[in-house]
Amino acid sequence: MWDLFISLFINVLLWIYDVIGNNFGIAIILFTILIRVVTWPLNAQQMKGAKAMQDLQNDKEWQAIQKKYAKDREKLAQEQMRVYREKGINPFGSCLPTLIQFPIIIALYQSIIRALAATPLDLLKLSRSINTDFLDVSQLIPLNSKFLWMNLGQPEPYYILAIVVAVTTYIQSKLTLPPSTNPNDQSAAMGQSMAITMPLMLGWLALTFPSGLAVYFVTSNVLGIVQYAAQGKANWRNLLPKGMRK
Amino acid sequence: MRKKLLFISMILLGTVLLSACAGGAVRGTSWAGLTATEDVAYLADGAFVYAVNLSDGQELWHYPEKADSKKVFYAPPLITSDGLVIVGSAGNNHSLVAINPADINPETNVPIEAWTFTEAKDHWVASPLIVGEKLFAPNADGNLYVLDLADGQSSKQALKVIELEGRLWAQPVTDGKRVFVTSLDHSIFAIDVETYNVVWHQDIGGAIPGSPVIGSDGMLYVGSLAAQLERFDPATGEHQSVLNTQNWVWSTPVADGDTLYFGDLDGNFYSFNTTTGGLNWNAVKPDGPITASAILQNDHILLATESGNIYAIGKDGKTLWFETVGGKIYTTPAAVGDLILVAPLETDFYLTALDSNGRQVWTFAPQK
Repeated sequence: MWDLFISLFINVLLWIYDVIGNNFGIAIILFTILIRVVTWPLNAQQMKGAKAMQDLQNDKEWQAIQKKYAKDREKLAQEQMRVYREKGINPFGSCLPTLIQFPIIIALYQSIIRALAATPLDLLKLSRSINTDFLDVSQLIPLNSKFLWMNLGQPEPYYILAIVVAVTTYIQSKLTLPPSTNPNDQSAAMGQSMAITMPLMLGWLALTFPSGLAVYFVTSNVLGIVQYAAQGKANWRNLLPKGMRK
Repeated sequence: MRKKLLFISMILLGTVLLSACAGGAVRGTSWAGLTATEDVAYLADGAFVYAVNLSDGQELWHYPEKADSKKVFYAPPLITSDGLVIVGSAGNNHSLVAINPADINPETNVPIEAWTFTEAKDHWVASPLIVGEKLFAPNADGNLYVLDLADGQSSKQALKVIELEGRLWAQPVTDGKRVFVTSLDHSIFAIDVETYNVVWHQDIGGAIPGSPVIGSDGMLYVGSLAAQLERFDPATGEHQSVLNTQNWVWSTPVADGDTLYFGDLDGNFYSFNTTTGGLNWNAVKPDGPITASAILQNDHILLATESGNIYAIGKDGKTLWFETVGGKIYTTPAAVGDLILVAPLETDFYLTALDSNGRQVWTFAPQK
């Protein structure tokens, strides 16, 4: 089943690669845009869920039950569930779409690795993943792994891409953080913490893994920023130092 | 708090899953490289190169001492006339090293490096070729590095870097005047061994992961992922397709008089007559894709299939015997004396020795 999923990714990637004249970097960028379009409903749901949870933190009834049942965790949980039900909020509404996107990232990573076929075993596996009815395999293989200054099958050696990944991830995380007036707002605290850890983690992945994956990260981040900005949801003030936000 | 934990768990899970498929110094990144001398088998398999005593299957030593994520080995080791073991790394350090089994560190039981070469920019998948005192080493960066084996340097500099095209995954061959190198970029190159000039270069329309072979007629033969066997004039590069195969030809053909034996990824095994230009018998199809080259024995040919079986096939195309080794066999086996050495993937052991009838003599797995 997983292999079928990977095969689907590889065939679409190679089809794009073939159509655009054998540039794997551009193929990854176009494929990322395609993935972003396909996962649009998930992203929209994630944004909606995050906004609802954020609004809830500032809700008077929510703050009241936090205070009232601070020492009775069981009762607090029951009351929280009641509020969720009444307001039609899914507490995992912002997390689940992210969870669903992880297999896509992993499948994309495996597809890039397999398509670039850095080892004989990868090339053999690639030969079995391609649908020869619509792709001329003998002409396509090996893929041109050169893109700009990079070999997409290898980590980028000058750390430029890792820095770009970290910076774009940071900007995207910051832009999507809604303002919070509640100092006890847990989800805002978590958002702040993720805005630091995610860029570091993705930057590290970009440093360690083939640069093709980093091209995906950068493209995905830029598309995310554009998407938020186009919807008027980007919170540009968050990019400023705290003292300058007012 | 629960949400935070869930989110962090997701990130950790994603990182672990990505790391798990990153390759690195683990077995199974690709298939092992196997070479054997009269007494010792050398197995390049993941994080280590192992020397295994052929008499009992016991490990003599392994290199390096500890696994290093920058070093991954699967290029078949090359043994020089003075006993050095030359092997390239497919890890991120891209080093080619010569280790000296005669000079073992008594504390670690690890052989000392006689020299290293670190100028290459990509993986070492193929064995180099020795011509006189020069080493012709093909790298996946598309360069053929020429090293001087007699310069006495412990940190080698390339005598010459011959820039070819595409990834070079197969050991070159020579007719004494020229070195022939194949590339995944659909090309085959002939290089003058003295001047290092490219004498000719031909595109055959499909990647070439195997080496060419020089037939008894003096012509050069090579299979490709264009599912063809091509014949070249080694002097001029003039070429023609002499056989259409059912699928990709990965392995290097083996020459026996005017016959070439080789298999394809559909599992067909061919016996091609270079004199008549046709097949001696209709291709036989044992039981699985063939990436390993055949091994010539006195009256039969040994053949390994991906299905984990070893076949002894008579020169008339009839199967004499077959034995199940297990796992998946992609590596070309080695025959030494009465032993047949097989290095399968996806088995508990890394190497096994069979007798001439296919019965298992010993297996080797490194101590954990």
